[in-house]
Amino acid sequence: MARALCRALVLCAAAGLSPANALAQDADVPLSPQCDAPAALVPLEPLENAASSLQRGRVLRILAIGSSSTSGVGASSRAKSYPAQISGLLLQALRGVNVEITNRGVSGEVAKTAAERLKSEVALVKPDLVIWQLGTNDALARVPPAEVEETVSTTLDWLKENRVDIVLVGPQYTTRYARDPNYTAMREALRNVAAAHKVLYVRRFDAMQAIAHARASQEMMASDNFHLNDLGYQCMAEHIARAVVGGIFLRKFKPWSAGP
Amino acid sequence: MRKPNEIDFWRGFALVTIFVNHVPGLWFERFTFRNLSLSDSAELFVLLAGWSLRMVVDTQDAGLPIWRLVLRLGGRAVTIYAAQILITMVALALIAGASILFDSPVVLDWHNAGPVFVNPVEAHVGLVALTHQLGYFNILPLYVVLMFGAPLIGLVYRVARPALLPISLTVYFTTLALGVNLPTWPVEGRWFLNPFAWQLIFVLGFELGGRDGIARWAQGHRMALRWLAAPIVLAGAWAALTHWSPDPIDVPDPKLIFMFDKTFLSPARVIHVLALVATFAGAFAVLAGWLPRLARYFSMLGRNSLNVFCVGSVLSLAGQLLRFQLGGSLGIDAIVLLVGLFCMGVTAWVSEWRARSAAPLSSAPQQA
Repeated sequence: MARALCRALVLCAAAGLSPANALAQDADVPLSPQCDAPAALVPLEPLENAASSLQRGRVLRILAIGSSSTSGVGASSRAKSYPAQISGLLLQALRGVNVEITNRGVSGEVAKTAAERLKSEVALVKPDLVIWQLGTNDALARVPPAEVEETVSTTLDWLKENRVDIVLVGPQYTTRYARDPNYTAMREALRNVAAAHKVLYVRRFDAMQAIAHARASQEMMASDNFHLNDLGYQCMAEHIARAVVGGIFLRKFKPWSAGP
Repeated sequence: MRKPNEIDFWRGFALVTIFVNHVPGLWFERFTFRNLSLSDSAELFVLLAGWSLRMVVDTQDAGLPIWRLVLRLGGRAVTIYAAQILITMVALALIAGASILFDSPVVLDWHNAGPVFVNPVEAHVGLVALTHQLGYFNILPLYVVLMFGAPLIGLVYRVARPALLPISLTVYFTTLALGVNLPTWPVEGRWFLNPFAWQLIFVLGFELGGRDGIARWAQGHRMALRWLAAPIVLAGAWAALTHWSPDPIDVPDPKLIFMFDKTFLSPARVIHVLALVATFAGAFAVLAGWLPRLARYFSMLGRNSLNVFCVGSVLSLAGQLLRFQLGGSLGIDAIVLLVGLFCMGVTAWVSEWRARSAAPLSSAPQQA
């Protein structure tokens, strides 16, 4: 409640102050009817660095890293992977902003390897925002959740130190593993570490499960019932884009004397 | 069949190390030199490949006209390419078979194999064009590119010998300054081992494998180089033990020159592998005295390095799959190691036996 109030206040204060803030009023990513899911599943956290980078220049640089859901296994073409789709959605929502998205997804990768790669890629690509999709391979390889929490925690600290925002994306929902204890434990570990670091976490599993329950006949998985299909990637892109836009324009309430 | 010698010995050593390193989490991994070094067996393998190329160019192909040398080296590249395709297919079958056996679609995603099964049309083009590589199967594509470039190296060597290393260094530093690499396809990305950067270590091996130029100078100053190399080796060992590496964000531009990057073969890794060579060159003579059977085994592997490498790669993947299913206990790991060493040894022995049996037949008179 207090949060909603703060948010409303910020939006009111932001309205009509500067051209960049004028975007805040109607910047939004509409969810298509097939992808509609309760907004509460993606509680927003501010993406301060991306926001200030946008104010300084009209380019938003994003690094997408993760495993097969990032590299787009199951999509009918490269243009249907979620990073490719997000680029279009963000361009529409953030009018006048150039979005550069680099896809460094490697199918089958676990969090530890991704974390090592992430540092080099961040240094070379210099993104404002990292979208890190993880959890599935670790859960199924039976990597201890505590270990993944540790790896992610260290990486989140490093990113914060170097002023790079991050959005975490959790494992997908699939009936195959919905009741697998390792899978559930991994999801919980990721939720915990995201909450501890106050980092935006897209609860893909919950969103997809809600959609599956609301529209059971809608097929979002490829034939192996493990990877996403085109519709699955579309919904994933929409939810992540919505979270990114929301996070960029959500700012912690600051007294205006402190400056923008 | 050559007698055990230093190059074959270290090649065999590199092959065994690669096998162990390609089963992540294997209990015996702690004994590989990667834990005490900034470079690993990949650098050693490519260095020695360049070294062997020099020995071939200087001896067997010494008298050949340039166009025949080019054809010979190109032919060798095709052989390595064929090996890459063969082991990739076997690896894909292992992964597919494992996913059926374990009833687990997640295995199909391993090592970048996902696109091959879910997006086969583009992935197969990529597999043949070497733009889609499986994880842990990246050395041979690099080797193929280097060998297709070997005629160029041979040409420069014949025509303008002093220019070879400067050209190589120019390409190397330009690559690191600009961050250039070959793209992967259909998955967006870059080659795991950048041929433009790794050609340096290949050319360095080529230079060091000769009898003149840098090689002769190095031979003449061995003690001095050994003293120079010692602190580098120790510094590298300390950095590896403490898992220290420069924070990629904090280093000055061009970042790739100061990071410890394997894809772009950062200078730290090149310097370290050269320091290792300076330190351990000549150690074979001592080791052959203490452990003659080990020396013979490693040398046998090294003499047949392509075949052994292929078998080792496939077996390491099999080891990974086995450990995935059964968990990685000391017992399982020991079985994986022993089976691997045994099969690699058998491969080398059978390769030599075939070569020996083929020889008298080829000189037998043709039947009418």
